[in-house]
Order: sequence, then structure tokens, then C-alpha cells
Amino acid sequence: MSDPDEPRVNDPLDLEASPGQARASTAEDEDEDEASAHGGPAADAQGRGRDDSEKLDQYLLRRYHLYGDRTAREQLITMYLPLVRSLARRYASRGEHFDDLVQVGAIGLIKAIDRFDLSRGVELTTYATPNIVGEIKRYFRDKGWSVRVPRGLQELNIRLNKVIDELVPKLQRSPTINELAEAANATPEQVLEALESSQAYNSVSLQASPNGGAGEEDAGLIDYLGGEEEAYGAMEDRTTLAPGFAKLDKRERYILHLRFFEGLTQSQIAERVGISQMHVSRLIRRSLEKLREEIGELDNPQIMRPSGDDPE
Amino acid sequence: MAERIDLEVPATLNALSTVRMVLGGLGARLDFCLDDLEDLYLATDELLRTALDTDAPDRLSVEVLLDDDALRFTAGTFKSAKLRADVTMHAEDCLDLCMLLRRTVDDVVLEDEDGAYRIVLVKRRKGGPA
Repeated sequence: MSDPDEPRVNDPLDLEASPGQARASTAEDEDEDEASAHGGPAADAQGRGRDDSEKLDQYLLRRYHLYGDRTAREQLITMYLPLVRSLARRYASRGEHFDDLVQVGAIGLIKAIDRFDLSRGVELTTYATPNIVGEIKRYFRDKGWSVRVPRGLQELNIRLNKVIDELVPKLQRSPTINELAEAANATPEQVLEALESSQAYNSVSLQASPNGGAGEEDAGLIDYLGGEEEAYGAMEDRTTLAPGFAKLDKRERYILHLRFFEGLTQSQIAERVGISQMHVSRLIRRSLEKLREEIGELDNPQIMRPSGDDPE
Repeated sequence: MAERIDLEVPATLNALSTVRMVLGGLGARLDFCLDDLEDLYLATDELLRTALDTDAPDRLSVEVLLDDDALRFTAGTFKSAKLRADVTMHAEDCLDLCMLLRRTVDDVVLEDEDGAYRIVLVKRRKGGPA
């Protein structure tokens, strides 16, 4: 039963109260909503507002799930769009339009509202946040592939990334395909197919996650390379004036230098630079591809000419 | 006991993926480590891409010979003098095809044959389990 001291609209169990009486979320409420959703300081300071908001959530969820009230559903979506925008903003620097991320996140929100189980006794924010983030991450994962790669292969690829990182220090050498297959619980054929398909992954951006994931905890490759600038400088004079290399960025040149001039293996480069072996593989192939395109334009069959040997 | 596999594929970039998959399977059978396999992929890819650009064959013929601890990859036959020069001539401090092959496989051999030639790349198992 509702507390007679409480305003009727805030009682989640009072299904007779009109949704129209509910407090509507506005753009000005965005920060407050986010803080409330995450239980932050603002929420503590405004505990009363948070309680009210939670009760309103419950009320609207009941209206929707028990009575099929689509207006309540729409009101929940509107209320939680600021949370979607807030979560989408964290991923906005990864090359996708912010509005697109909000759209994708909103799908996660709608799924959370539709699948919400009233009997579980959890708050909508608790349930919706991982749904929204999951939808955004899935979007990045799917968008990251330049050709359509089956989901199973994409997931095996992500697993292989981790397995390789674990096996190299453990074995003190690069693992074999059979070892990878065993560790990833796959067949050698599946491993080979996943490795081949990994070349279709567009994760060569220096802003992208170095391990192919889209988690916010992943730093960009560019962050890992800061300490290598000095070493890179030593070889810069030696190689970068050559045709073709101008099309590469400094880090791509550096990785090619480590592999072909210093003679490091891909695993050793991965360890030196702090990225995965698979990422090194993609960077090398991508860099060679760029060089080939550039040299092709110069009508020169060589991948790179020595500095000072300018065809001009 | 040596095992020989012959492949003839269209002279297109798409066909290189097929060649890589075959090499991957055979390399796995030899217990090549991932680094060695990646080197083999790079070497064969760059060689065949250059061959497509310079020799313009209709089909690519590839032979892979498996030994106890080595994989011998043969492509050809080719006639282009330019391809021959790219494979064999290296300019100092230059990342050209010749240097790339030297850095990724153990041996590069040209086998002359009736005015044409075949290119042989040999990759030995090194980095895998003892």
C-alpha cells in the first residue's frame, strides 16, 4: 500500500497514478540522471531525487510490462536517453559519429526495458547500463571488420589474441598452430581460418584498441609508443626519405624498421611495443600494402628505395 | 618422408588467400611457430604479388614440398627479367623485395628452366617446440 505521506505519483506500487504526473527528464537533467544512474556524489546529495526516480522507473515498468502501456515505455526511453548519451560519449573518440553511437546505445536501452524482469528486484539503471554498453561495443566489433566475417570467427579471433599473449611468455617463444588450437579450444583449421580473417580487421588506427577489443580500459596504440620515440629517431634519418615511406606514419615506419632492419620477430615487436602479435601482423601487412600502392603510383617495383636515391 | 602438393590458381590477388591457407595447414603440420608462419605468409604474398605485377601470368603454379623440418615453396615458371632482378638484387638500407625475402625465409633460389625460371623459397622450422 502507498504511504499516505508520500505524493501519490511517486509510489511505484500505485498503478493508478497517471504517468503524466511523473517527473519528466529534460536535457538539463542529463548530468543529474547520469550521476543518479551510477550512484555518484550528485546522487548522494540528492538521495531523495534518486529515490523518486527509482520509484518512477518501477511505476513505469509495471505500467508497461503488466498493462502494456506503450506510453510508459516511451517515457522510460526518454528518461534514460541522457544515460545513453553519457555512455556513448565515452566511445565518441573512436571514429564513429556520436549520433550513431547514441542510436545504437538506444537500441540497447530499449532491449533492456523490454526484457526487464520485474521479479528480479534490480534497478533499471543496473540492468540497462551493461545492455547499452554491450550494444555499443558490439557495433564497434561488427564495424571493425572490412569484410563480413562470421561472428564465431570474430570471437575466436579475439580469443586467439588473448591466448597468444598468454602463451608467448609462458613458452618463451611464439606458439604453434596446434598449441593455439588447444589453448583456444578450437581445431587447427579454425585457428588458421581465424588468423586469415583477422587481416580483414580494421584495427590499424593508432587510436584503436591495440588488442582488437573495444573496451574503454584499452588504451590506444599511440599511448604505447611514446617511449619508443627516441629509438625511432635514430633510424628516422636512415630510412624515411625514401619514396613510399612518406605515406606511412612514424609508428608504421618504426614497426617495419624493427622487423626488417633490426630483425625482430613479430612476437618480439609485440612485446617491445606493447601490442598483440596479431596487431603487429596487421600493421606490417597494412604498411607494406600502403608502400606498394605508393610505389605503384611512382611506377617503381621496389617497396622502398634507399634515402638519397631519389628518382626525381 | 617428403610430401609434395601442387597448386594451380588464377593469377589474381584473391587466389593468394587460398595459397596462404594451404601453406598454413602444411606449416601447422610441421609445427611451425606463429612467427615463422607469418614470415612465410609475408614472403609468399610479396613474391606472388610482385610476380602478378611484373610477369602478368594467366595462372600461378605453386609447388610445396614438405620435408622433416622444412617447407620448400616453388612458384613459376616466370620469364620477367624485372622480377628476377627484384628477387635477387638488393640495394643497401632499402626495404625491397630481395631484403624482405632474406628477412623472412632461409633460402631463396632461382631455378633456370628452358629460358624461364622458377623461384624457390625455403623456410625451416626454428621457433617452434624442440
